Amino acid sequence: MIEINHLYKSYDKPVLKDVSLSVRRGSILGLLGPNGAGKTTLISILTGVIRKESGCITVDGLDLDRELKAIQLKCSYVPQALAFYRLLTAFENLEYFGALWGLKGKKLKERMEFCIDIGSMQRFAKKRVDKFSGGMKRRLNLAIGLLNDPEILYLDEPTVGVDTQSRNYILETIRKINRERKTTIIYTSHYMDEIEQVSDDIAIIDEGKIILHGDKQAILTRDDAVNNFGHRTLEKLFLKLTDVRLRDEG
Amino acid sequence: MIKILYILKKEFLLIIRDIHAITVLFIMPAVFIMIMSLAMRDLFELHGAVSIDVLAVNQDAGKKSEAFLKAMDALRTFRFHLIEKEAAADKVADKIKEQMLARDYKFALIIKENFSAFVEKNGKGKDEKPLELLVNPAVNVQTQLVLKSALDGKLAKLTWDAFIDRMGSLLPLAGIDREKMTAAEESLVEVHYVYKEGRYSKIPSAVQQSVPAWLVFSMFFIVIPISNTFISEREQGTLMRLKSMNVSRFCLIMGKMAPYLLINAIQVIIMIAMGVYIVPLCGGTALTLGDSMGGLILIAASVSFSAISMALLIASAARTTEQATTVGGVLNLIFGALGGIMVPKFVMPGFMQDLANMSPMSWGLEGFLDIFLRNGNVSDVLPKSLYLFIFGVVMLTLTVILLRRRGEI
Ligand SMILES: Nc1ncnc2c1ncn2[C@@H]1O[C@H](COP(=O)(O)OP(=O)(O)OP(=O)(O)O)[C@@H](O)[C@H]1O
Ligand SMILES: [Mg+2]
Repeated sequence: MIEINHLYKSYDKPVLKDVSLSVRRGSILGLLGPNGAGKTTLISILTGVIRKESGCITVDGLDLDRELKAIQLKCSYVPQALAFYRLLTAFENLEYFGALWGLKGKKLKERMEFCIDIGSMQRFAKKRVDKFSGGMKRRLNLAIGLLNDPEILYLDEPTVGVDTQSRNYILETIRKINRERKTTIIYTSHYMDEIEQVSDDIAIIDEGKIILHGDKQAILTRDDAVNNFGHRTLEKLFLKLTDVRLRDEG
Repeated sequence: MIKILYILKKEFLLIIRDIHAITVLFIMPAVFIMIMSLAMRDLFELHGAVSIDVLAVNQDAGKKSEAFLKAMDALRTFRFHLIEKEAAADKVADKIKEQMLARDYKFALIIKENFSAFVEKNGKGKDEKPLELLVNPAVNVQTQLVLKSALDGKLAKLTWDAFIDRMGSLLPLAGIDREKMTAAEESLVEVHYVYKEGRYSKIPSAVQQSVPAWLVFSMFFIVIPISNTFISEREQGTLMRLKSMNVSRFCLIMGKMAPYLLINAIQVIIMIAMGVYIVPLCGGTALTLGDSMGGLILIAASVSFSAISMALLIASAARTTEQATTVGGVLNLIFGALGGIMVPKFVMPGFMQDLANMSPMSWGLEGFLDIFLRNGNVSDVLPKSLYLFIFGVVMLTLTVILLRRRGEI
């Protein structure tokens, strides 16, 4: 259970303004928002990468300010960027990050094998990552995040720049982890269809504010989620709520 | 502990696979050491043994000229190239002159027939001059004087010793110790080379200068791999991942320092081995190491610490790898030029020697020279190590302040 109350964060200008949100244990929350909405900033705060300015965050009853270490141990963060070493092989990357999680010996081997499996990387685990395709890199990025068998998994746009096959594979993997390990997953994306496909709950963030949060079914059955052809889609709702203006034009 | 091992492994793999880093850290200094040790061999040896080639013909009828030539050789300043003795005494001058011009000698020495007679003051021609020197007029006066006074000196000694020999039986009667009367073989003038830092009886040979100089220089180029990994870690989100994994600040900084300390240590070993084993194979002189292992380790570790700290500061302050490698590279070149890497400090004018003291590379280089050249020990390199250490601590503190302000650690 993650509770966020009145979270505030600014750089040069306010980026998160009074964000309140809760995530149910064992659920997948799809965090949807246009470019610059503050998705990465929110996740970075939750994972202890950057500091918030004010507000209160608890994870499973642990306070983020006071018990960050304990929280970090049960979480894992898969950054939006491909966060690994290009000059190492997939195997060496997994070994390195696994060791940093404090894994060693047999346990480390086991977890690495599990991650290689789940990323379906058996054939190229010993190849250098800079020779990987986009899809392979994304799968490795995700796999590294599973090394510590996290209770809570933060995925920041895990499917950017991959083909349909890899994307499907990744989405299925995410569902599988959630189903089998009861992992709580927070998943950001600009892709409506992805969010529709994987998440239990949906939150839409725009310009630093949560403008909609609720159960996926409830949201999709809203009247204003019906498009011109009579289909209920998130896209229609999303555009309506965030309006069609381009976001990175300031 | 285990973590550090995996961090070491990772950084090593990254460096081994980074061809630029390998080139700059290992190949560049090795090549420089080879080239400079060989190319500047003769330049540096002006201070050791100058070699002036002299064409010579020995017409001496007696035996004294052999001792004379041997004594001249022992000076290790001249190389005598003897040509065949000429039977017809009046043709000697013409023949040697012809050869001197043909073979481009600057000097030719004729040891005349009467040489032994002159030395022993006995026989035909005992009062005539026993040596004739032919000089190419293009030769500078100094060189000519060096040769002339050496010839005069050795001749005088030989004549004096011969005199003592003749008086040999009389000396004990007069209560004089014969040993004490013979002229000393070695020069009685003790020479010291003086420059700002102090007073040394040795000047580095080409290899003694090149190895520590290019070693220190290349150790500072650790800035290349450090920026490459550190900046890409930041750009590619790896640092975010590490931070979310609750990797401690200490582990992050140690993870950056420890592997590169080791890389620097490997550089030290390889470059010293180059000087000791490879340079002599190619015709240079061998590097001598002095005898203070402790001092060597201390100065090497201090250079390494300050180089890595400076690299970390540059890598943290720069936004892109290009920026870091440019700033780092230029700074290293300036430190190198200033610090006596490219131009040895002892040939710099006084004010430049003062300036050189501002370069950390100069502290490192002088430390290594203390060990290799001046047989220094731990206490001799301690001040330089201390400077380097303080420099490193300042750089590291600035790095931590900068990274904390940016919220990166
Ligand atoms: N380190 C920083 N310094 C200054 N401004 C920042 C910094 N990081 C983010 N921002 C700003 O904060 C805002 C939110 O950024 P954030 O990366 O959280 O958005 P996002 O929703 O993840 O966008 P995207 O979909 O493009 O990833 C943006 O306007 C961005 O310019
Ligand atoms: Mg983002």
